[in-house]
This record gives sequence, C-alpha cells and structure tokens, in this order.
Amino acid sequence: MPEIIEVCPVSDLQPGERRLVEWEDLEIGVFNCGGSLYAIEDRCSHDNGPLAEGEFDEEDCTVECPRHGSLFDIKSGRPKTLPAYVPVDTFPVIIEGETIKLEVD
Amino acid sequence: MALTENETLREINADYTERYGFHDAENYLYKAPKGLTRELVEKISEFKSEPQWMREFRLKALEHFLARPQPTWGSPLLAEVDYDDIHYFVRASERAERSWDDVPEDVKKTFDRLGIPEAERKFLSGVGAQYESEVVYHQVREDLEQQGVIFMDMDSGLREHEDLIREHFATVIPPNDNKLAALNSAVWSGGSFVYVPEGVHVEMPLQAYFRINTENMGQFERTLIIAEPGSYVHYVEGCTAPTYSSSSLHSAVVELIAKPGARIRYTTVQNWSQNVFNLVTKRAVAHEDATVEWVDCNLGSKLTMKYPSIYLMGERAHGEVLSIAFAGAGQHQDAGAKIIHAAPNTTSNIFAKSISKDGGRGSYRGLLEIAKGAHGARSKVVCDALLLDEHSRSDTYPTIRIGEDDVDVGHEATVSKVGDDQLFYLMSHGIPEDEAAKLIVNGFVEPITKELPMEYAVEMNRLIELQMEGSIG
Repeated sequence: MPEIIEVCPVSDLQPGERRLVEWEDLEIGVFNCGGSLYAIEDRCSHDNGPLAEGEFDEEDCTVECPRHGSLFDIKSGRPKTLPAYVPVDTFPVIIEGETIKLEVD
Repeated sequence: MALTENETLREINADYTERYGFHDAENYLYKAPKGLTRELVEKISEFKSEPQWMREFRLKALEHFLARPQPTWGSPLLAEVDYDDIHYFVRASERAERSWDDVPEDVKKTFDRLGIPEAERKFLSGVGAQYESEVVYHQVREDLEQQGVIFMDMDSGLREHEDLIREHFATVIPPNDNKLAALNSAVWSGGSFVYVPEGVHVEMPLQAYFRINTENMGQFERTLIIAEPGSYVHYVEGCTAPTYSSSSLHSAVVELIAKPGARIRYTTVQNWSQNVFNLVTKRAVAHEDATVEWVDCNLGSKLTMKYPSIYLMGERAHGEVLSIAFAGAGQHQDAGAKIIHAAPNTTSNIFAKSISKDGGRGSYRGLLEIAKGAHGARSKVVCDALLLDEHSRSDTYPTIRIGEDDVDVGHEATVSKVGDDQLFYLMSHGIPEDEAAKLIVNGFVEPITKELPMEYAVEMNRLIELQMEGSIG
C-alpha cells in the first residue's frame, strides 16, 4: 500500500531548486524543473553513491552524479550517459493545497 | 642460427631507438609552457574557435580534474606522474591537410620514416596522422566519402558536424568518470571522429597514427566512433614516441557507439617509448545485435593503465576484448577489460595475455558484470600470463558479478587448461608439443592479425609467437 509523505510547502521549492527528504531508509531528491516537480531516489545506480546533490540542470531536467559523472534524466530516472546504465526509482509528486507530497512504497 | 627464446625476447624493441625513438627539431607554431591552468584551457578552446558549450565543457572538466585525487590503485608508478611538468598543448601545423604534399616538411619526414603514406596506399580506407596535439594530415577514400562516411580529426569534426558531436560526445565517458578522463576532457586535442551511415560497410581499415615528438609532452586525443545500424568499421591506431630521459603523458579518451546490428572493431598497436605514461580510458556501447571488438596490443611505455570496456545494452549484443601486453625492464602493463551485460542473451569474450621479463610487471585487471535482467547471458574470460624470469611479476585481478541464475560464465587463468584437449589431439597426430601450441594460438589470433596493416601484423605476430613459446608446460 503506497504511503503519502510530506515534503515542504510549494513556496519553498522554487524552479531550479531541489530538496532532500528521508523516508524510512530511503533518501529521495525532489526537483523543480521549470515549475514541474519530480522525485528520484538519491542513489546513483552505478555505485550507490548519493546522486541528488550533484549538478542540477533545470532546463534539461537532469542531475549529474558527483562521483563518476553519469547524467540522469530526472523525469524518468534513466541515465543519459554511462557509467550508470540502470534507471533509478522515481516517485509520483502530489500537490495538495499548498503542500508538496510524495507517494512512496 | 635460430635465436633462443630469451635472445629473441631481447630483440623485441632492441631497435626501438632507431626505428621510432628519433626526434625532430622543435619547429612549432605554438608550444604552451609547462603546467595546467584555466587560462591554458581557455586558450586551447580559443585557438580552435570552439563553440561556447565546448569551452564550458572543458572548464567544468578542469574543475573535476583538480578536485579529484590521483588514483592510488593500479601501480605505484602512477605517483611519479608530475602534472606540472608537462606541456599540455603543442601546435605543429595550421590545420589537418588532405594532401600529403602540404604537410610541413619536418612532420612529413617523420611519418615517411614511420611508413604511414606507404601503408595508406597499400592497405587502408583512410589515414589520420597526429603529431603532438593536433592532426596534421587526414584523408579518406573518395568512394567512402560519397557514401556518407566521415573520418576526420575531432577538431574538424566539431567544426563541421557540431550537432552530431554534441549529441554523442562524452555520453559514453563523461568528464567526471575518472581523473584522467577529466584531464582529457579539459585539454583534449586531435583524435578521430568517425561516422558510418546506416548499412555502410567500410571494408578496409581506417588508420590513425599518433606521434609524440616533444619531451615532457602530453598528448590528449579524443576519439568518437559512431556506427549507425547495420554498418561496419575497423579502426586501427598506432602510437610511438622518441626515447627521452624524462616522462611524457598520453591520456586519450575513446568512445565507441555501435547502434543496432552495427559492428565496430578497434585495434590498437601501441609501441610507446619507455618514458611514456599511457593512461587511457576506452569504452564502447553496443546496442541490440551490435558487436564491438577491442584488439589491444600494448608494447612499450613506462606504465600503461588501460581497460577497454563494452556495455552490452541491447539484446543479443556481443563484445570481445583481445588484450596483449608485454612488460620489460622498468615497465608495468596494467591492462585488462570490462564487459557489462545489461541486456538478455548478450555474449562476450575476454582473452588477455601478458608476458613479463627482466623485472617487468604485467597485470590483468578485469570486470565482468551480468546485470539483473540479463537472462541467458554468456561470457568467457581467459587470462594467461607468462613470466620469463624470477625477477618479473604477474598479477591477476578479475572481478565477476553475476545478477542472474540462468547465465553461462567461464573464467580460465591458464593456457594449459584452455588447450589441453587440443594439444592432445594434435600431438596424437605426431605434431610436437611446441608446434601444436603454435598452431592453436595462430588459429586463435589469425582472424584478428589478418585485419591489421602489414607492418603492424608483423610486429604483433612476433609478439604473439613469443607469447606462445614457453606458455605450455
């Protein structure tokens, strides 16, 4: 059964900004790409290092793994460059009133 | 009188200085002072009149390079690389000429001496010759050009086919992949850009020849090969440098993209002088039904660290690495291969052979990974080492990760295990053991050596023959 978790108020995540949230033992990066919100697992599928703190390109909606440079499409979780080749998990983002929430399971 | 095995081994590269170790007077248009700075990176980009995105790419890569520590794995010799004692950019010629007559006289003499124009006439579909940082000559056969085949130096490729390059460049090896890839991304210059359109087969090899002339020079070529669906290309590269007392650095990045059903074979016969650090990143992507083959022959250099990789991303893709390394006195050949099976029914082979003598060190460092979901993958890894005396050293660092149950993976580390039944069969027909071994190994390498330009095939055959001798028993 999916669970809904709260991230932050909508006004706290402006275009070009990101936020990290924790749920159980999972860390999730929530990104605002030009007004659209997306969430991916904060774990590079190449060597399990942190991903969401890497360079965020708002225009292309990508994040670059700070460890070995794989570029991930934030919308789909798919790597656009090697060395990572397995997509990372994505999570549906819900806006309820003025609050950003995530559906996790 | 026939030479003994050890005498023959001593012969290898005994004539290096005469054949390749000469150097020309430095008569350059530009030679950067030693050391790596942001200003130099900007200057290289400015020299080449590059688009803004490439300039930014270089500068970002420089930050990655500076932020990363020098790797501590691989070889203790790596600690000897002095990044402040290197000329990062040397320009010998104004542009890549298409006529041999237009190449500057000194440079032309060098390549004449190395036999490049002759090889072009006899064996090749196209030739590129890089001298120091840039390509001085490039030619591709007219009929191939008419079919849409592109073979040019990377600098020209960026000028003439920017969209194609922007789409594929650094998608296989991003600048932050490792410290040396970051360095190459910051200061890259020259190398080859090859594009083969859908369904086109380039029957004869394309060849690039890389020559370092300056002492303490860094050569950082960047090569990208794109094979569209159903196409085929064989690319051969050769490398030499003069013999100096102080070190030079060769740090290339090579990216191959084989689209569905395409096949790329990439052959390297490097014969660097013993003062060259050869730290290269080579990686390929093979999509559905595509094949990538790396044939990697490592002679010379002080230290080589090179692990050609293949990511088998589409179903039924096939990857193959044949790696031969020869480590003599004071040398460390840390070579190997990486193959990642990321799709079902993919297949691969790694055959790595090393010979160490006179205190040389040969290492095999490999990764075979079968990802979750890659059902039915098959792979065979064979690494053979031959030590010729008690001072020499051989190490094997094989890593195998398997994420599925229904796969077939074999790892063999000795020649005798590979060939016992074959040897027995031949010997039972009256063929002596040594001859039998030669037959087996010749049979194994023949499909590859016959594809090489003649002068390289001769050199490689000599090495293989040596490797073969004494590997039994």
